[in-house]
Amino acid sequence: MSSQSPLIKTRKPGELLFCFLLVMGSTYLFWQAYNISGLSSLSSPGAFPLAAAAVMVLASCVAFLNTLKSPAAEGVRFVYHCFPPVIAIIMALILVYSIVLDSLGFILSSFAFLFISIQFLYRRSVLTTLTITLLSLIVVYIVFRLVFQVVLPEGIVPEREILSVIESLWR
Amino acid sequence: MDALNYFAMSWLSPELLGLTALGTFLGIYVGAIPGLSVTMAVSILISFTFSWDVNYALCLMVGVYMGGVYGGSRTAILLNIPGAPSAIATALDGYPLAKKGLAGEAIGLSTVMSVVGGFVGIIVLALSAPTISEFAITFQPRDYMMLGVLGIMLVGSLSGSSLARGVFAGALGLLIGTVGLDPMTAEERFTYGVVELWDGINPVAVMIGMFGISEALHQLHNMNKAVVKQKISRIIPKWSDVKKYMPLSLQTSFIGVIVGALPGTGGDIASLMAYDHAKRVTKNPKVPFGEGAKEGLIAPEAANNAAVGGAYIPMLTLGIPGDAVTAVFIGALFIHGLNPGPLLLVEQPHMFWFTVGNLTLANIFVLIFGLTGIKLFSKIVECPKGILIPLIFLLSIVGAYAINNSVTDIWWMLAFGVFGYFMRLYAFPVGPVILGVILSSLTDENWRRAILSERGSVGDLFINLFHSPLSTVLFSVIVLILFTQSPIWTKWLRDKIFHPSH
Repeated sequence: MSSQSPLIKTRKPGELLFCFLLVMGSTYLFWQAYNISGLSSLSSPGAFPLAAAAVMVLASCVAFLNTLKSPAAEGVRFVYHCFPPVIAIIMALILVYSIVLDSLGFILSSFAFLFISIQFLYRRSVLTTLTITLLSLIVVYIVFRLVFQVVLPEGIVPEREILSVIESLWR
Repeated sequence: MDALNYFAMSWLSPELLGLTALGTFLGIYVGAIPGLSVTMAVSILISFTFSWDVNYALCLMVGVYMGGVYGGSRTAILLNIPGAPSAIATALDGYPLAKKGLAGEAIGLSTVMSVVGGFVGIIVLALSAPTISEFAITFQPRDYMMLGVLGIMLVGSLSGSSLARGVFAGALGLLIGTVGLDPMTAEERFTYGVVELWDGINPVAVMIGMFGISEALHQLHNMNKAVVKQKISRIIPKWSDVKKYMPLSLQTSFIGVIVGALPGTGGDIASLMAYDHAKRVTKNPKVPFGEGAKEGLIAPEAANNAAVGGAYIPMLTLGIPGDAVTAVFIGALFIHGLNPGPLLLVEQPHMFWFTVGNLTLANIFVLIFGLTGIKLFSKIVECPKGILIPLIFLLSIVGAYAINNSVTDIWWMLAFGVFGYFMRLYAFPVGPVILGVILSSLTDENWRRAILSERGSVGDLFINLFHSPLSTVLFSVIVLILFTQSPIWTKWLRDKIFHPSH
């Protein structure tokens, strides 16, 4: 870890690049805001976005310059301390989950997501993970789909048919 | 009489009563689990409750808020890990008490004093809000515009490491709020010809992404911390202790209300100030502070719960939030078609008294749940993060989908989640972004009204600021914030504190 005094603000790896990207992004948004209605009038639809974007450009420049001035943190690596593989993998899993959610449906995609991520993060036996996944999914499904009536994507699972069969068993 | 009916509404309806109880119960657990914030829980809840009747949704969310602020103290005492920032001061003396085998007593005492603080906050809210609101009705468009700017600046300056970063976050939120068709002229702004963007970016998707996803991603940094097992003894506090510490509890509750009512501050600052106050006024503590002084335990606990009532004052009377949770609450009220601000108490007085009654009820539930179920509690708190974090992701994704039954909102939420993760990583506060999105239309519309009323003259607008005492005060506060965050002021302060002889 850093040996520097905690009172001195140090620069984390990637911070300078992030601040630079914010400056670039803000400048782009400023230009886009200008394109709405130019500088035609102070009450035009573009006036407020233009002012907000200008503040963003100024503030991001100040943040960038301050970051530039601060010393780099010692012994801190981007891949290890800022963006470790576990975060990248979980982000990828969430991305895949979001992509397949509509086509596969809530039950299947959520089951796969929970099972893989719990197994990856909790690292217990497959049976334990399977039990936890199933229990969690059942609770979430009952609470949100059945109690709160939240409409969730059905996908390839004929959910409504299954629910009506279960309902018919109680009649 | 009407006020009393509205006050008792959630007490007399079994559904509302049940939802408040459920919310408080959930809030205590969410608040107690380190890494899970009340803001995150409330923002996820919005997506599940926005199709409900507003009273039902508010009962659940108010309960989560009240319970969550209290819940943070549990893990602070038992594990020395504050469940929420507002419980940081609680851990200073709470954990030493637990190490001496007095965890149960500490939890009991902190529960009672939290409830006392909660009641003080609610009483001040009930007494002061109508007066403030009456005064706020006289606000002109320029005052609203400055209020919007002030709200974002206060949150920006107090929640981050630097003003520039806070202001950037606030301005980003304002810009996000302008995406879509202009409400006055229907002109497209940042839509790039995409029809889906005509309605703008849903604030709920931004909220879940910024608070839910980014926070959960951050928690992945601390996956390997071992879970500590607990031993719990009696928790009902001694009556003599309650009596002895009541004056201090009341004093720190008032500190909590005042700090909580200042926009941008919250329970965390209130509890630290209360701890400091307790240290100064307690001349001869039985046990030194930091080694298990009961004064150091009850002061922050009374203050942070009192800050809840305080935070509601600017939210309900001016439409500007007292802290991040009330910022999310404003979003929830807007989604339910309500307009928090000076007119809320005139147009919908029932909402105000309903909220006061509901807060009172939630506070009573804090007492009930706080003093019971401690064994079950200690088990749930020990739930490993490896299970908890995937569940948070799942709930966030389902929550975002539920907004419009559309995957587009999931994409927005994920984008803001990843961006929010990097913002947190590099000390950019995420709270002002949400606040910016919420206050965007208020500030935009009132700026345009103000400038139109001055026939487009900025000079006239500026001069007329000084014709109204209120506008002058608001403008001065904005200038003051800018000044106190400037390098000149920081340098002067540093010299004064660290080199007072110079």
